[in-house]
Amino acid sequence: MNTLINGLCLGGIYALIALGYTMVYGIAKMLNFAHGDIIMVGAYAVYTTLALTGHTVPAVIVAVIVCTLLGVLTERVAYRPLRGASPLAVLITAIGVSYLLQSVSQLIFGAGTIPVSIGNWGTLELMGISISISSLLTLGLCVVIMVGLSLFITRTKAGTAMLAVSEDRAAASLMGINVNGIITLTFAIGSALAACASVFYLMQIPAVSPTLGAMPGIKAFTAAVIGGIGSIPGAMVGGILLGVIEKVCSSIPVLAPYTTAIEFGLLILILMVRPTGLMGKTRREKV
Amino acid sequence: MKNFTRIVCAVLALTFCLLCATACGEANYTANNTTYVIGSTGPLTGDASVYGVAVQRGAMLAIEEINNAGGLNGVLFSFEMVDDMAAADKAATGYTSLFEKGMQASIGSVTSGSCASFAAEAEGDGVLFMTPSASAENVIETGENAFRVCFGDAQQGTLAADRLVETYSKIGVIYDTSDPYSTGLYEAFEAQMTKLNKVKDTDYFVYSFTKETNKDFSTQVSELKAKGCDVLFLPFYYTEAALVCKKAAQLDFNVPVFGCDGLDGIKDQLDDTVTAQVSYITPFDVESPDADIKAFVDAFEKKYGEAPNQFAADGYDAVMILYEAMKAAGVNDVKISAADLADLLRPVLTGGTFKYDGLTGKGMTWTVEGSCEKDPQVVIVDRD
Amino acid sequence: MKKFKLKHWINYMILLALAVPFSVIAFTGTVKGSTSLMLTQIAYSIVLAVSLNLVVGFLGELSLGHAGFMCAGAYIGCFTANYLHTVIPDPTVVLILSMVVGGLAAALFGFIIGLPTLRLKGDYLAIVTLAFGEIIRTVFMNQEIFGGALGLTTKKYGKTLFVIAFVMAIFTVFVTQNLMKSKHGRAIQAIRDNEIAARAMGVNVTYYKLAVFVIAAFFAGIAGVIYGHNTTPVDYGFFSFNYSVEILVMVVLGGMGNITGSVLSAILLTFINIQLTTKLSGDLAALKYLIYALILIVAVIWNNAPALRKVRARFGLQRLIEIIVHKFKGHRLKEEGGMEAPSTADWSKVPTKIPMDALLSTDIVPEQSVKEEGDKK
Repeated sequence: MNTLINGLCLGGIYALIALGYTMVYGIAKMLNFAHGDIIMVGAYAVYTTLALTGHTVPAVIVAVIVCTLLGVLTERVAYRPLRGASPLAVLITAIGVSYLLQSVSQLIFGAGTIPVSIGNWGTLELMGISISISSLLTLGLCVVIMVGLSLFITRTKAGTAMLAVSEDRAAASLMGINVNGIITLTFAIGSALAACASVFYLMQIPAVSPTLGAMPGIKAFTAAVIGGIGSIPGAMVGGILLGVIEKVCSSIPVLAPYTTAIEFGLLILILMVRPTGLMGKTRREKV
Repeated sequence: MKNFTRIVCAVLALTFCLLCATACGEANYTANNTTYVIGSTGPLTGDASVYGVAVQRGAMLAIEEINNAGGLNGVLFSFEMVDDMAAADKAATGYTSLFEKGMQASIGSVTSGSCASFAAEAEGDGVLFMTPSASAENVIETGENAFRVCFGDAQQGTLAADRLVETYSKIGVIYDTSDPYSTGLYEAFEAQMTKLNKVKDTDYFVYSFTKETNKDFSTQVSELKAKGCDVLFLPFYYTEAALVCKKAAQLDFNVPVFGCDGLDGIKDQLDDTVTAQVSYITPFDVESPDADIKAFVDAFEKKYGEAPNQFAADGYDAVMILYEAMKAAGVNDVKISAADLADLLRPVLTGGTFKYDGLTGKGMTWTVEGSCEKDPQVVIVDRD
Repeated sequence: MKKFKLKHWINYMILLALAVPFSVIAFTGTVKGSTSLMLTQIAYSIVLAVSLNLVVGFLGELSLGHAGFMCAGAYIGCFTANYLHTVIPDPTVVLILSMVVGGLAAALFGFIIGLPTLRLKGDYLAIVTLAFGEIIRTVFMNQEIFGGALGLTTKKYGKTLFVIAFVMAIFTVFVTQNLMKSKHGRAIQAIRDNEIAARAMGVNVTYYKLAVFVIAAFFAGIAGVIYGHNTTPVDYGFFSFNYSVEILVMVVLGGMGNITGSVLSAILLTFINIQLTTKLSGDLAALKYLIYALILIVAVIWNNAPALRKVRARFGLQRLIEIIVHKFKGHRLKEEGGMEAPSTADWSKVPTKIPMDALLSTDIVPEQSVKEEGDKK
């Protein structure tokens, strides 16, 4: 039971990161490999603001602002010139951006792991199970953010425009939608979500280092694909599934060393059965 | 297109001819040395870089101290460290570049995996090295010129088992299956527990993690809490151990924490939420009243603005040991080749009369196999 | 007699230009340890880049798990080598036998990974290859007989390893180049350009897709064995996703489906990497990735940005060389550059090749998105 709660909590974080992947993929048709490193930058922003002010709320706000600006900036500088070029070229640029962010933060903050003290609200006893309150908070806020995002996509003009761009970029631009603007907006939202993820991540793992984003980034990418890349509910389901699996595996000593293998094995199994993920749309290929 | 390729061809051919001219090796790279060159590789970037940087700083401090005191018979020392990112292939590349820059003696590599690679390369050239921190057993097994300053994994794991069994009845263990240091310690611990007639899953409980899994440790800690363990044994590095401590505090699981020398440096990582007692086996205590250690800590803090950890002290000791051994061997030729120097130093180090009083132990001696004999101490982290 | 065509021989010439002089030095005198290490790394990088190009450039499937095949080859090949050393005294024979074993083992993994390719497309396939790569190395890491977390201790071959490594690189280039010139090669590229059309033309898509994965994995396995004889211990951490990406970077920078490009960029990137690692010692080490990242971003944007097409045509490397050549020869210069690097190799310019996408697409879309559609497939 405890393991399940822990898994849900980790899954929530994965889901938030996966949402960023999935949105950018759905709309800009590119895998943003630097997404994990935006989380890292967010974590450093939280750490710096906490060190300066000592309060959590400004830290969160600063992290969101920094990440959003960073997301928009990388999109402008690195990805926009390549609009219309081969997707692989964009992928490689994204990898370059990822290396760049890592090395810059190492130059600024040093290579070591820096501990961050970000709230410890103790535990809650519920039916004989002790759950840490920050876990519950993480889980709750993740759900709120996801619901909000879904509403934004379906109920607002900008959200509908995003859907339109992801369906058919050329047609959307013919309908008078500013495609470049929408893509920038997508990056902004994805990066803001990454900032939120970085705060939750720090609540679970209170330490920052330049390579912090790499592994959650890959795991979240996996989660996005399990759920069906491009699909928002899919990212949530995939993230939570992956989080629970990871926690269940590490609670069983025999399986623990193989955790990563099991997670990726699951991914392959799901894709073998449903080639576009759990909730992905199957597009009939035209000749 | 044809012309393009032809030009490329010509340019390439020319470049490589020029390259060839520089590639011809000569046996004696130390002929132009004006200082004694000590080399090392270690992770200066990436996840493990904190250890590499610490060793580098400790070693630089030692070199500075030696040079301020006039070097060896008036000849100064220089120190060169190449980044290996804790990867075996980069350690080999780093080694050859150092060797060709005229390295005469070495303090090896910082981490076990790359040091094994370093040792394999060094063995061929007959370079003596004194690794500050590569504790895996296979590092010094490669040859007669391999020595280390730190304890081996087996020594520490066994000692930990002995210590823990004395006071505690249910030991909770978490270790990193993807890390050679951590698995080495755990295996020694397990072997000793078996020898002491302790049974897994009744006297001690084991959970593990890997580099690739998320390091929030909530599962491992809550499982161990549910098992009712009265102590946590954490045989891995301090950054992760600090995370375990914090998670345990979050879950109201305030049992004592025990670890090995990798836990050194944990104090700065803990905040006031952690109330449990933390102690570890270490050869170096930053708060020791010993005059040498005080002087080192002061100098280190003055230069780098932070307290040294055990890796820095190991790095300092490794350089100092090489210096003292060279002094004892009566080395007096700045152009001495690495292999000749190794032939002079080896008998000194293993001769039995050479003893070194350092920051990480008094009266250190070395066995023929290359492991260091010194007294371990257990430090309880003072949390005020 | 056929006319001598430089483009068919340039790869061999580059490789020989690199290998022969050093081999002569190695066998007559002493070669520097660092040079030997660098050449070996260059050689196995070439093997990896060219074989990955087979999958990514010619078959058109994105693979992010090439290091996984290398891992399987390295562990199994070197494990065999460790055993063979006790039986056969000659290290060269051991090396060759273990390369065969390692290559075949990796090919087996390639077959297993090739199976999902029959059902999956594009990014889904990419993540599956990534997943397989991670699974392979995790499983090997947890086996006690392969040394566990410490890695598999191997016996180094010595300073002349690069000679054999270069022979393997030439072999890889030979196989890839001739395969692509054959009817099989045209079938593979037809699958890349339009799978459905290729199927309609009677190309056995299943067979070719599997074959490409198996061949690429075989060569990656051989590269792994060379790596294992160059570096000890064989450590699972080396074969991470990052290394797969590094190989992919070589392929993309060299040009998809361009073997010469892969060879050159493998040489160049390995050289830059080693130089940055060894030259930027001490505190400057952190700058290495910064420089590497900047080179990567600038190179990719320069080579691919649609907006820079005109600029590239005027000031690009090929144009510059053309100018020099023409000046040298005294010819007049063509006015419009139009020296866009072809996205596929020259020998893929089969006269019968028809731009299927453009012809058969029923959608009325602007020109640019036709190109995108083509890229996606």
